[in-house]
Amino acid sequence: MNAVYRSYGPLLGTIILLGVAVWTLAMIIGPQVFMVEQSLWRLEQPDSAVTAGMRIEELNNALSLAQYDLGTLDGATEPDKVAEREKLARSVSEMEQELSTLQGQDTAPVKVYTIGNYTEMSGYHAEIFVKTIGASLLVTLIAFAVCYPVAYAAAKLAKPQRAALILLGLVIPYAINELLRVFAWLMILDYQGVANSVLLWLGLPEPIRFLDSGIGVFVAMVYAYVLFMVFPIYNTIETLDSNQIEAARDLGASTWKIHTRVVLPHAKPGIAVGSIMTFMLSAGSFSVPHIMTRGTAQPWFSQLIYSKFYDSFYWNQGAAYAFTLLLVCVAFIIIMMKVFKVGIRDIAK
Amino acid sequence: MRGKSVSLDSVSMRFGDFTAVQPTTLTIQAGEFFSILGPSGCGKTTLLRMISGFMTPTGGTIRIGDADVTALGPNRRPTALIFQNLALFPLMPVWENVAFGLEVRGVSKRQRREKAEELLALVALDGQGDKLPTALSGGQRQRVAIARALAVEPAVLLLDEPLSALDLKLRQHMRTELKEIQRKTGVTFLYITHDQGEALTMSDRVAVMRSGIVEQVGRGDDIYDNPATSFVASFVGESNRLSGTVEAISGGQASIATRFGTLQARCGAGLTAGEKAIVFIRPERTRLQDTPDGSGFALRGTFLRRDLEGPFVNLFFDCQGLPVTVHVTNDSRHASDSAAERWLCIAPEDALALPAGALARDE
Amino acid sequence: MSSTASSSSSASRVVLSVYMALFFGYLFLPLILMVAAGFNSYSPPSVTQWQGFSLRWFSELAADERILQGIVNSVIVATGVIAVSLPLGLSGALLLSRLDARTGSLLYGVLVSPVLTPGIILGISTLIFWRQVDVGGGLGLTVMAQSTFIAAYCMLMFMARLQRQDTSLEEAALDLGATHLQVFRRITLPFLRPAMLSAAVIAFLQSIENYNTTVFSIGASHTLVTEIGSRMRFGLTPVVNIIGLLFVVTTVVVAVLYVLLRQRERARTPAG
Repeated sequence: MNAVYRSYGPLLGTIILLGVAVWTLAMIIGPQVFMVEQSLWRLEQPDSAVTAGMRIEELNNALSLAQYDLGTLDGATEPDKVAEREKLARSVSEMEQELSTLQGQDTAPVKVYTIGNYTEMSGYHAEIFVKTIGASLLVTLIAFAVCYPVAYAAAKLAKPQRAALILLGLVIPYAINELLRVFAWLMILDYQGVANSVLLWLGLPEPIRFLDSGIGVFVAMVYAYVLFMVFPIYNTIETLDSNQIEAARDLGASTWKIHTRVVLPHAKPGIAVGSIMTFMLSAGSFSVPHIMTRGTAQPWFSQLIYSKFYDSFYWNQGAAYAFTLLLVCVAFIIIMMKVFKVGIRDIAK
Repeated sequence: MRGKSVSLDSVSMRFGDFTAVQPTTLTIQAGEFFSILGPSGCGKTTLLRMISGFMTPTGGTIRIGDADVTALGPNRRPTALIFQNLALFPLMPVWENVAFGLEVRGVSKRQRREKAEELLALVALDGQGDKLPTALSGGQRQRVAIARALAVEPAVLLLDEPLSALDLKLRQHMRTELKEIQRKTGVTFLYITHDQGEALTMSDRVAVMRSGIVEQVGRGDDIYDNPATSFVASFVGESNRLSGTVEAISGGQASIATRFGTLQARCGAGLTAGEKAIVFIRPERTRLQDTPDGSGFALRGTFLRRDLEGPFVNLFFDCQGLPVTVHVTNDSRHASDSAAERWLCIAPEDALALPAGALARDE
Repeated sequence: MSSTASSSSSASRVVLSVYMALFFGYLFLPLILMVAAGFNSYSPPSVTQWQGFSLRWFSELAADERILQGIVNSVIVATGVIAVSLPLGLSGALLLSRLDARTGSLLYGVLVSPVLTPGIILGISTLIFWRQVDVGGGLGLTVMAQSTFIAAYCMLMFMARLQRQDTSLEEAALDLGATHLQVFRRITLPFLRPAMLSAAVIAFLQSIENYNTTVFSIGASHTLVTEIGSRMRFGLTPVVNIIGLLFVVTTVVVAVLYVLLRQRERARTPAG
């Protein structure tokens, strides 16, 4: 703290500290804390409210019956009917009184703290959760396999100008919004899309339903997040001294050995970062499944969260689902940092 | 411009368990060219940063003139620092660099420009004001830094090894120039360096530091001829060293018993009979003879090799395992001197005995 | 021995070249198809049902009130994000540059964590947080939600720039009598200017592109991207393709402008 004031003086120092305080507390920590808090309670009808509700219904029924009877007796002059009418009128007013006191009672639902929002995930939702995580891991793995040769080629094999061209080629598709990029795949994999047109032309008897099976989500997701895998790996491989590769080759190492013993170990931090980003983006992806499933295939976990918030307005369980997803991502980050032995400073560059 | 004195009273600096500067008391006179000389890590830069105000001492007081400045920040002290890398502002043209101190004091642009031109003339950079610092040569940038520091009319100019980035020729030229500017302006110069040549040629007085302690303060001649400690003797200039034990001290002379016999030497500070001592003999005062001349102590040496330095020649001898160097002027007499066996003679007035202590590491 | 090595390496070069060609086909084919469908008069967008070249979707776009309003909203949000993220990112970078390693690492971890958090969670948590003080979804909330992570991107850019700063420049200015504010205005800010420009451009693009966070925080309002998102399921016309085309053009223009500005900046700022 002293160093801050010493470097920036009282005015600037205070502004800087305030700025960071607002950012950390009101934008990062505060929202997470309140999200967790939201996930730990729900509104429940108190027991008294439940019995009162039943009694109100009972009274309402009896009341309408009595009022109907009262109506039929209206205008009668026979003494017994008059007496009956007065009796009925009395019981009506009694019932009305009870009704108004019951309705006056506080029947508002009360806030109950519970971990139920987490434990009561339905079997269907749990299945979607597990599938989402599994699929995200697979997307990460495929993205790595697809990207590694590209990153290596751009960093070590291509001449500087060609490498710049490769990088430019990688960036251009990202000039287009993620939704539109994914939408392009929808046009290809749709039932009447380009892929099926080609396959039919090649002699396939009938079109394949790519979208219903969930394959569409997969293809588009790898496509959507490839860049986040390529660039971190490219950046680390680029720092590898090419002489090391030459030296290994000179010592008789095979291409396989060169990669497993020299290039891959060097690229570890980049692989870790790329995997973390790809996994996080896939597991939390809303846009890709939103477009590629079109309600036909099984939804992604993020879509469940969205529907908790905006279809059923059950924010508490929505928050619980969101926090569960966050925990999985944090766990993945920690595992990657441990496995690849990288620090937080290596990440997010 | 008028220089002011700088007084340090038991100034010290600790970083946790590490003491960078031991309590130091020192007065630099107003208008003096004062150097602090020491190897890297001796605490001289820390001392400079405390005087300039970038560090607050953990103990003691610093006064500039009559004012106690210990608690003041660098922008409120009458000092100006010339950084080792010069720290010229790369985005500002030369004249704005020079006038920066005036700009932040609210001086009008016209006056700033005038003052800047005046100072640029002082450092022989007339008409270079509109260039960017990167367009100048190393020596010119050096002079811009000096002009920038002088613009705020400091009472004390602090220089942190400003010549270290220059090549040898330019460095020697800048020594003269710095001395000249100091004479013209009368500002107190406090110069930090690990280069003894710079310290000895420019300074009125020199302080030699080791491990956070000022070991000796004195004029250049004093430091060179009468070093106070074995460290100063070994750090400043070269020397041949003979270790031994003090046998007796009388009349400013000490008898030192060495493995080559007993030798007479001037008695340095803190020497006591019976203690271990080191005798320092400068290579240029070690005389080369074909036979011992009987005037003092003589060692028989086997010639090893010869290094040509230009104006003088270094001759290396081995005296039964003791390496001895002799400097001789390059007057062609010794140019091809390679006789196998010579006598190396040491007069008592050319030898100085000091208590055995830390020596400067050879770098 | 050497001949076999070189022949195997040339063989692997061919394999790699083919692979790269396939990879870039994978990257670009969808885009080409998407742009092509924008010029097909058939709706919904398609290239297989070709009904003739047409520019009608351009005029439909120009007449589409919701899309136009979405563009306006997106620009409002992006401007707000720049206004929030740049000062916050700068504060974070300036603070971190002066903290000791341990405190610094902790704070750094906290500040960059939003970059590693799924966007939907940022949107949800912001939504819940601001509802405590009765602020609901909308453009303002979207600015807050997006800034949570965009400020971290800005901070990283400022940090990269600050790492290359020579701290002796600030010290020299202080030593010459400048106040801390003067040092900041005359030395630090001019030095950070290129990074400010980059950070503003990145913040703008990130904000315009954002969907996952925005969809939770936008409430009843809409941005261009959330509007596209809601049309993806219903009532999709090739207007969307035209927007895609405009995205490409805009991005290329912004990128070119950015490069030009950087070059001008660099011409004014000699290296070193």
